[in-house]
Amino acid sequence: MAPLISRRLLSLIFVIFSITFLTFIVGSLAPGDPILVMMGPRRDPAIYENLRHQYGLDLPWWQQYFNYVGGLLHGDLGMSYRYQGRSVNEILGGGVGVSISLGFAALAVSLLIGIPLGILAALRQNSWFDRTSMITMLALFSIPTFVMIPILRAFNYYVLYKNGLPSLPPAGWGTPAHWVLPVIVLAAVSMGYMARLTRSSMLETLRQDYIRTANAKGLPQRRVVGVHALRNALLPIVTVIGPAMAFLVTGSFVVESLFAIPGVGFIGVQAISQRDYPVIQGTTVVLAVAVVVMNLVTDILYTVLDPRIKSEG
Amino acid sequence: MATPEAVQLAPAGNSVLMHRNRHGFWWRFSRNRLAVVSLAVAILLILLATAGPLWYGVDANYQDYDAINSWPSSAHPLGADSLGRDTLARIMQGLRVSLTVAFYVELITIAVGATLGLLAGYAGGHVDNVISRFADMLFAFPGLLFAILIAAVFGQAVTERFGGIGRLLLVAGSLALVSWPLMARYVRGQTLTLKERDFVGAARSIGASNGRIMRSHIMPGVIGLIVISATLDVAAVVVNEAVLSLLGLGIQPPDPSVGQMIRQSIDYLETNWTQVLFPSLVLTLLVLVFSFVGDGLRDAVDPQSATHAERSNAPPRRRLSRSISYPVALSVVHML
Amino acid sequence: MSWKKMIPLFVLVLVAVVAAGCAAPAPTGQSAAQPAAAEATAPAGVQKLIWSVEGVNELPGLDPANPQNAQSIQAINLIFGGLVKLDDQLNVVPDGAEKWEVSEDGKTYTFTIREGLKFADGAPVTANDFAASINRALQPETASYGASFQLGHIVGANDVAAGNAKEASGIVVVDDRTLAITLDDNVPYFLAQLTYPVSFAVPLQAVEKDPTGWTEKAFGTGPFQVKEWQHNQKLILEPNPNYWAGAPSIAEVELPFFQDSETAYQLYRTGGLDIMGSQQNPVPAAHVAEVKDSPDFKTVASFATRYIGFNNKLAPFDNPQVRRAFALAVDKATLADKVLSGAVTPTDRIVPAGFPGSQLPVKGLAFDAAAAKQELAAAGYGADNPFPQVTFTYGAEGDNERVATFLQQQWKENLGVDVVLQPLELATFSKNLDTTYLTPEAGLQFYLSIWGADYPDAQNFVSQQLRSDSPNNNGHFENADFDKLAMEADTFIGSAEDRLKLYNEAEQIAVDQVGWLPLYSPSFNVLIRPEVSGVVATGQGLVFPDWSQVTSRAAQ
Repeated sequence: MAPLISRRLLSLIFVIFSITFLTFIVGSLAPGDPILVMMGPRRDPAIYENLRHQYGLDLPWWQQYFNYVGGLLHGDLGMSYRYQGRSVNEILGGGVGVSISLGFAALAVSLLIGIPLGILAALRQNSWFDRTSMITMLALFSIPTFVMIPILRAFNYYVLYKNGLPSLPPAGWGTPAHWVLPVIVLAAVSMGYMARLTRSSMLETLRQDYIRTANAKGLPQRRVVGVHALRNALLPIVTVIGPAMAFLVTGSFVVESLFAIPGVGFIGVQAISQRDYPVIQGTTVVLAVAVVVMNLVTDILYTVLDPRIKSEG
Repeated sequence: MATPEAVQLAPAGNSVLMHRNRHGFWWRFSRNRLAVVSLAVAILLILLATAGPLWYGVDANYQDYDAINSWPSSAHPLGADSLGRDTLARIMQGLRVSLTVAFYVELITIAVGATLGLLAGYAGGHVDNVISRFADMLFAFPGLLFAILIAAVFGQAVTERFGGIGRLLLVAGSLALVSWPLMARYVRGQTLTLKERDFVGAARSIGASNGRIMRSHIMPGVIGLIVISATLDVAAVVVNEAVLSLLGLGIQPPDPSVGQMIRQSIDYLETNWTQVLFPSLVLTLLVLVFSFVGDGLRDAVDPQSATHAERSNAPPRRRLSRSISYPVALSVVHML
Repeated sequence: MSWKKMIPLFVLVLVAVVAAGCAAPAPTGQSAAQPAAAEATAPAGVQKLIWSVEGVNELPGLDPANPQNAQSIQAINLIFGGLVKLDDQLNVVPDGAEKWEVSEDGKTYTFTIREGLKFADGAPVTANDFAASINRALQPETASYGASFQLGHIVGANDVAAGNAKEASGIVVVDDRTLAITLDDNVPYFLAQLTYPVSFAVPLQAVEKDPTGWTEKAFGTGPFQVKEWQHNQKLILEPNPNYWAGAPSIAEVELPFFQDSETAYQLYRTGGLDIMGSQQNPVPAAHVAEVKDSPDFKTVASFATRYIGFNNKLAPFDNPQVRRAFALAVDKATLADKVLSGAVTPTDRIVPAGFPGSQLPVKGLAFDAAAAKQELAAAGYGADNPFPQVTFTYGAEGDNERVATFLQQQWKENLGVDVVLQPLELATFSKNLDTTYLTPEAGLQFYLSIWGADYPDAQNFVSQQLRSDSPNNNGHFENADFDKLAMEADTFIGSAEDRLKLYNEAEQIAVDQVGWLPLYSPSFNVLIRPEVSGVVATGQGLVFPDWSQVTSRAAQ
């Protein structure tokens, strides 16, 4: 376990340096001058020069990169181009917590619905239930979030609100009610995947020798499924929880944007459209750390759960 | 476990199979009704995209201002969009654009991902280390965010210099950035597994060259998997292109893509929901058929995962299904 | 494998569930960084106004010296005040100054500061505060993009902006309550310019104490002050107890940010907002039909013009006949009524309807496909000299894509010209406008743009946009007769009416020579809940003439 963790931490450092470097290269190759973008239509040469100096953009690129890395080692992600006087740490600070808690909620919902659905479908393979639920799950993640959101909102407004029924806030952040719609939308997509994965893994497990043996020995079906099949069938689910969580956090910017949720994915996309490179860099660093940590947690869980798998790099 | 002789005997076209089987690949595929129907629908969709516009003959960009946001009618069988353009014509055109993007993405993914994966898995050592670390890095990168960054930063310059086709390739290239590390990781795993098989060792012991081993033992074992994961990835690519379009970074108007049509009509959901419905149905259909064809291919290549499969030792199976699930997992979650 | 080994899995699921369940009721733990909404909410019963800010997910800043977009101006105008302000008829009326005198040559303005004027924290405001605030806005360290431009006519302003002086010699503090400002020329629109935030009074003590963070709790001489700024989410304001016109009766103003006005609309219609819709981001066109007959819906013509700009330094648009052909070939009525479903008013002129100067008529280039073809032929294009392929650029936002696609079709149908569309994401688009100004030969060919009034004076449109020496003339339109008339009007001494006549003549030239190809004035469509009183929709946004009379709903 310890070697696995230390190796992963080393690779984390490598990943972060390469990611900042890559983003940095993209930023410096980018046509256009961030300061000009920042200043908009009004231009004043004195202010322009002053700003360039303030942000260290008058230095050669490698020096800029070293300065950035120096800051990074102290946990300083730099200053935003767009929001004068505000640090990237401060801008991203609030968003990270929001995105992670939203991601966890969506993951929990998709596991709680997806896993039982997958198990039931596997136990009744090729039944009516199996087919409809699996096709529904597949269809759910084929509907882009930006279609699902207006449909849910129209339902919320015409069916609930207009009839005086309790309705949900269609946007915003703060109260528990604000969580419902975004979590439904986010969970819908990963739920479909979890259900399908559980189903196929369950089917595979049910065909294994020891399950057949258990069945042949006359153990009750419930015990066979509950004790023997389930724990093995869920192993593949564990492997995807890490990446799924990471992508729920990083990929939720459409949801965050359409629901006006102050999450990190949305901040990152905004930063891209404003060419706010320090914020872009900060976002990628934060998200990369999240991905690597989630993968590490997954690997650890996996080694704990399945001793046959030795940690592979 | 297969003996070297058995593999040697297997006809070239069928040697995708790593296992000796009484029946061929197509036979097994054809037994899966859902996959066959899906394949037929997929072919129909491709026909619609290629020959459809010629057959239908309506200009997808013509604007009929009296038909703005109109419902299906005899003049416009599927209605017209918010600029009065014929929705049926645009769906055909949009399918063409979306499938072209998906085609290029998979081409790049296979060319880069599969090649590097093969190389890493087969060569091992330092080569493997370098490639794997590089893929890991891109893997840890918030995928779609990086695609957005690339498309945003270079979009204009590329379009100016290379026009519409350049734009299309840029979009495809940035979307492929999301897909190829997974492909590489996956192919590498498969190559590693194959390399340790008895028949490879046997081939090497009788003096087969690296090239020969690669051609006749490794390649056949990974091609099926490459095809499957590419097929399963198509749906995700179509949706991702739509997300890029949502940010104004996708294919340039007035040319439609399926995702773009949905985006353009979604504001008018409450005025005329049919305009959201039709392209969404096409998108859903694309996702469903490509997933089912992919599943069917997987089951046919790897008969154990199908219901009528014969049994074999568990450990290599587990590895295979795990590695299959990885790219699928990510292609699914990255379309959020 | 034993049951024990399953425990981590269950723990993980459990953690996820608990995170979902717990984080929701009370955002603690990992979401602690997110300020709790509950504590910032006004107690039930008192009046609260929730007014959405559309088009951004965050305000770029609240420093009046550097108002970076219309959204931050919306907030700045609630928190800060200047010497003068606009009333609901868009006349310049006293604010921090109770009266002023203008010298006969029109160059010196003497303001008398309101007696007993205080900042929200109770500190008195003197003439010196205004002088120092203006100087601060001009200093390069403040990095204000607009100050030197808006205040450039003050004697010495450019020295301060260039870093050669700390104070502009034209700003003189006569005594605590008297401020004299001298200009380098007669500038009839100077008072109107002073309603733009850069000259507003800022609390310099607070600024010096925390130069970058002071706006977190920004306050000034406006009706409200910042209670809490929940970044990327909303700004919460509370009344300024020392506001000179009496503290507002509204206990709290909440300004939530929405990148997408569709989102704000959805919230409004389920009762979550009191006011939605701004000039740049009005009620979405797709929903206008649904709300048109509701008492909540208010519409006025916006003081803005959406237009097509041409690069006058690049062929083929350096030829006025080509520009005329493109102008004549556009059916603006269809664009406005059908494509944009009547949410805009088509226009053939530069000054928007209802704006000072718009009462004088201008003869526009009305849609005429035949005349358009003739102009193109007269410019020398025909079968033997086909028109080159040109690229039309626009910022990817709002209705622009549909407008551009419509125009592409119009030029194809009515002129037989193939136009390539180039949507650019907004930041890139504005950068390209800069390029077009600085290096026209590498710039855009023609582009879709919009100009909204900074202050209600014809100069803001006619001269600032099209005078050959104006830094806002991105397309380098150049016409000697136009320049002569515009320059004369800009420094005109005499009746306002005669001055507007000069602008009108200039405008006619710009329309004939197609300095701009004006398309339409967007409507300022806004939804205001019937419980909200004391607010007036004007072409320049919402105006609250007397905050003590403004009412809203009771907070729940």
